[in-house]
Amino acid sequence: MKREDFLQEPVTHMKLNSKMTVNELIQQFNNSGCFGAGRLSTACDIFERMVRDDECTIFLALAGAIVPAGLRSVISDMIRKKLVDVIVSTGANMVHDLIEALGGHHYKGHWLVDDSLLYGYHVYRIYDIFVPEEDFVKLDVELTDMFDEIAGENKGHTLSSREFTREIGSRLKDSNSILRVAYEANVPVFLPAIRDSEFGLAYRLHTKRHFKDKLLQVDAFKEVSEIVDIAIKSSHMGMVVIGGGVPRNAIQHAAVTAGKGLDYAVVITMDRPETGGLSGSTLEETVSWGKVKKKAAKVMVIGDALIVFPLMVAAVMERLGDKFLRKTA
Amino acid sequence: MVKAPKTTGKKSEPRSRFCGNCYYHDAYEYPVLIICKLRYSNSNDFIVPTLEWCEKWTRDTQECFCVEEALKKRNKGSVEHHKE
Repeated sequence: MKREDFLQEPVTHMKLNSKMTVNELIQQFNNSGCFGAGRLSTACDIFERMVRDDECTIFLALAGAIVPAGLRSVISDMIRKKLVDVIVSTGANMVHDLIEALGGHHYKGHWLVDDSLLYGYHVYRIYDIFVPEEDFVKLDVELTDMFDEIAGENKGHTLSSREFTREIGSRLKDSNSILRVAYEANVPVFLPAIRDSEFGLAYRLHTKRHFKDKLLQVDAFKEVSEIVDIAIKSSHMGMVVIGGGVPRNAIQHAAVTAGKGLDYAVVITMDRPETGGLSGSTLEETVSWGKVKKKAAKVMVIGDALIVFPLMVAAVMERLGDKFLRKTA
Repeated sequence: MVKAPKTTGKKSEPRSRFCGNCYYHDAYEYPVLIICKLRYSNSNDFIVPTLEWCEKWTRDTQECFCVEEALKKRNKGSVEHHKE
């Protein structure tokens, strides 16, 4: 490369005004093109390309407490608007979806608080969110009943986590529930680490009520073929990752097992690559495994997903307009 | 900015033989109802008043305010009832 190759495009300074929309702000971020602003504007462009690509299957990975913090309806709306085809989540996020579906709440709290006092009041803390213990307890009771019912109806048939979430979604009435909306829209929800959540604790209670032949059977390996089959059938694949962890890797595994690699990738994380953990691993590192294609449109946005993700989705929705109807792959 | 709640600084009441003092409880309808984890795993009537007790009660207690608050609520209720 020559010297002038490094000096191609000057930074254009951002201009703000009182009437600007979300997408107009993102355009100003693009004018800067620097740091988090530049990465976020690139993320919007890549997500828009995924949505406009008729042959692309869009996987959404959810890790971190994003449902309790207020992204529940954003995700439900994305499913309704067909902006996502497959969800891969921690069990916990769907547990928090269920808590609200069953009438519970998450409360605005504070990180500077006497946690032993919270313990005394039976209140749990997720950074600055408070959740009353009774919402979990009531969920356990309802879930155990649901497990009994699902086991009874399936009579020994072993379910994948996708089939399990579908069974749960079909039993919910809350039209804002992610699991309910996913059930109605036929969007698969995979929970590759299902036991690491309240689902696991409720299962333990279910086992105390029943003998082996009447137990709910969920096979952790069954979903592997299901998600890989989706990847195999997809001409193009894109992933949007909030956080990372098991959900991100489950999608990447599916892509590489299908022998294709992802064509688009947006990762929103605060994690760093130096520890070798997957959540902070760069998308360039992911290329070395064949999980993301070398020529994929990809960006990692280092930032709080609670800020970055809604901005990205709102900007892309604005670009698409209300009449846009996505042709799903 | 949300203010952090202040601590009461009070120590909890001496442990009486109430279900809400036993180790095997979670809040169900704070502070008056608890769920007994022992009963729940046995599929019995597992939602019990905080101020109830049973023969499986254990002294291995939780450091919580369930009983203290349930007593306050009960006493307040009886005062209000008396006023009527």
